[in-house]
Amino acid sequence: MKKIIDVARYEYTHHVGKRRFWVALLGIPVGLLLIMAVSMLFSYLSLDTEPVGYIDQANLITQPQEVPEKLGFMEIFIQLIPYANEESARADTENGTLQGFVVIPAGYQSTYSVNYYSNKLPGSEVTGEINGLLRQNLMLREQVPHLDRIEEGSQISLQSLDGRQSSDGADWHHIIVPIAIGILYFIMVMTCGGYLLQSLVEEKQNRTMEIMITSMTPNQLMIGKIIGNLGVGFTQILVWIVILSIGLLIFRDQIPFFDDLNISAGYLTISFSLLILSFIVAAGLLAIIGALMSTLEEGQSVNSLLILPTMLPFYFFQAFLKNPNGTIPRVLSFFPLSATFSLSLRMAFTSVPAWEIVLVFVILIVSIALVFWLSGKAFRRGLLEYHKKLKLRDLFVKEEKNG
Amino acid sequence: MDTIVVNHIAKSFGETKAVQDVSFSVRPGEIFGLLGPNGSGKTTSIRMILDIYQPEQGEITILGGPMTEEKLNHIGYLPEERGLYQDIDVARNLTYLATLKNMTKEQIDQKLPAWLERFDLTEHQKKKTKELSKGMQQKAQLIAALIHEPEIIIIDEPFSALDPVNTQLVKDLLVELRDQGKTIIMCTHQMNQVEKLCDRLVLIDHGKVLLEGSLKEVQERFATNQVLIQTNGDLPESLPGVQSIQREGLYYRLTPSDGFTPHAILQQLIDQKIGLNSFEIATPTLDEIFIKVVQEGRNGNEEDN
Repeated sequence: MKKIIDVARYEYTHHVGKRRFWVALLGIPVGLLLIMAVSMLFSYLSLDTEPVGYIDQANLITQPQEVPEKLGFMEIFIQLIPYANEESARADTENGTLQGFVVIPAGYQSTYSVNYYSNKLPGSEVTGEINGLLRQNLMLREQVPHLDRIEEGSQISLQSLDGRQSSDGADWHHIIVPIAIGILYFIMVMTCGGYLLQSLVEEKQNRTMEIMITSMTPNQLMIGKIIGNLGVGFTQILVWIVILSIGLLIFRDQIPFFDDLNISAGYLTISFSLLILSFIVAAGLLAIIGALMSTLEEGQSVNSLLILPTMLPFYFFQAFLKNPNGTIPRVLSFFPLSATFSLSLRMAFTSVPAWEIVLVFVILIVSIALVFWLSGKAFRRGLLEYHKKLKLRDLFVKEEKNG
Repeated sequence: MDTIVVNHIAKSFGETKAVQDVSFSVRPGEIFGLLGPNGSGKTTSIRMILDIYQPEQGEITILGGPMTEEKLNHIGYLPEERGLYQDIDVARNLTYLATLKNMTKEQIDQKLPAWLERFDLTEHQKKKTKELSKGMQQKAQLIAALIHEPEIIIIDEPFSALDPVNTQLVKDLLVELRDQGKTIIMCTHQMNQVEKLCDRLVLIDHGKVLLEGSLKEVQERFATNQVLIQTNGDLPESLPGVQSIQREGLYYRLTPSDGFTPHAILQQLIDQKIGLNSFEIATPTLDEIFIKVVQEGRNGNEEDN
């Protein structure tokens, strides 16, 4: 056990201790945030926030536009200013005081159409404000009770046929968890799996491997490497979670569903357990690839074939939305490399039978045992074949050693 | 008790019989030469001893039993293909590899400086391995094989990248370790080093043992009655009791006729009043024995086929 920990510690510190790891780690979220911030800033700065005038020929507007006391961060408010006639509004538009003006004609309530005058197209924030003002005053005129609730729309509650799972319709944001898990899994296979592959091929290329396997069994070496790289992956996730949490705390008010976010601990536990087990399967497969290939380039090209199945649930996303218990989502749930995202996604949408969840875990555990057994063989055969690439069937040519 | 007993082991890779029948034993306190031409099965035999490969036939006993994980900690190995992490510094390389031999951090901190000092690597310890010369890398690799004070030391071509000064350093070290009672297996093509260092040896080719024994036994087995002499004048074209006379630089190689011994030749030389600077019985060099045995073995194989 000590040697497994030694190898894991070395693998972990070797990667986490490098500057390039932190540059890549922080670079992804910081880069994404920067892109988002820059694009938001550009669209914010390009918005025309000049007031819009209106001439109410229909005498509809009894309650003028509400002026917010304080604007939120990057919140837009287009002031709607009443004008007595078109001429004064036109003059202000021409001299730049207004960006345009709207005429509510006398017969508005029969046509429900207004004219907007300007030399440029109104943005969605302008049409939104105008529509809001008109809708609010129309409703007031009709004396509609519970006006606010009507504007918010109805809430539809969903219930599975067996009654075990329900959704209040506002649960659409629960999709965030499986998507986050799917993306994390993909990133972990890409980065940590990549590190593992790189480390194995390098050890094979620089002949360190022969020293290593005369100090411990091949399986100890592999387990240590997988644990170390899993640690690297979790460090990545942890750092991103911390950054995300800070972001959420800062922008809490700007995220509409944040307060409603209510995810069960059981669901999270299952999803993260799937993530870990699937990663171990992928890491074991990468270890086999690393042992069989003689150069990093060869390993990376085969690695890309391994990454493809992890993406399958993304390709069949529509099938998951349409029928989460359909054939494709179920098959992908039982396939070790796509199980994480598939099962997590299905569980977010529907009630997945308990036996299926158990079966997925059994498949993953059996896959881990199988992959470890096979990679143990690959280590013994492949890691000392410095100059040639081995094929998978070579592992079954008579060669055995007590692992 | 023999530390390593290799008993009729065999190993194939697909159709290739890497080792067909190899047996030998190694005792504590000796340097044992494992010799053979390229592709003879030496490395496969070593990997079977180290439990990297499992023999298909025969058995190997290490320290009185089969190899265990614990016994791996008592073995120091310098492989033919040297291997250190190229992108990390020497000290970290050695610390990590020593950790895998179950050394504690305190033990490493205590022993590593002395080893670095002995191999003149102290000031290079913070350099990345790839920044070191081949010879320095080899010395660092030797430290990795020896720092945990193993009972069994297996070294493959230990002098290959070393200059004469460092070769002598390693030779002295090996003798010192032998005197401490360590069991040392040395694979090398440098027969002069084997002659100087090895107590016993085994020569293998095509996965089979061709020759085994102590250096003295082997040389005696292949000894002829030839004598090497150095004279202070020219030799006559023929001498009684001498079948042939060959000039080899400053020496003459004399082959006695049937029934004549080197002593009889010496008597003849004295009787003829030939001034002698040196007289010695021509012991075959290990190089000569190596070539002779390997060629005979290969000719035998061809005839069998």
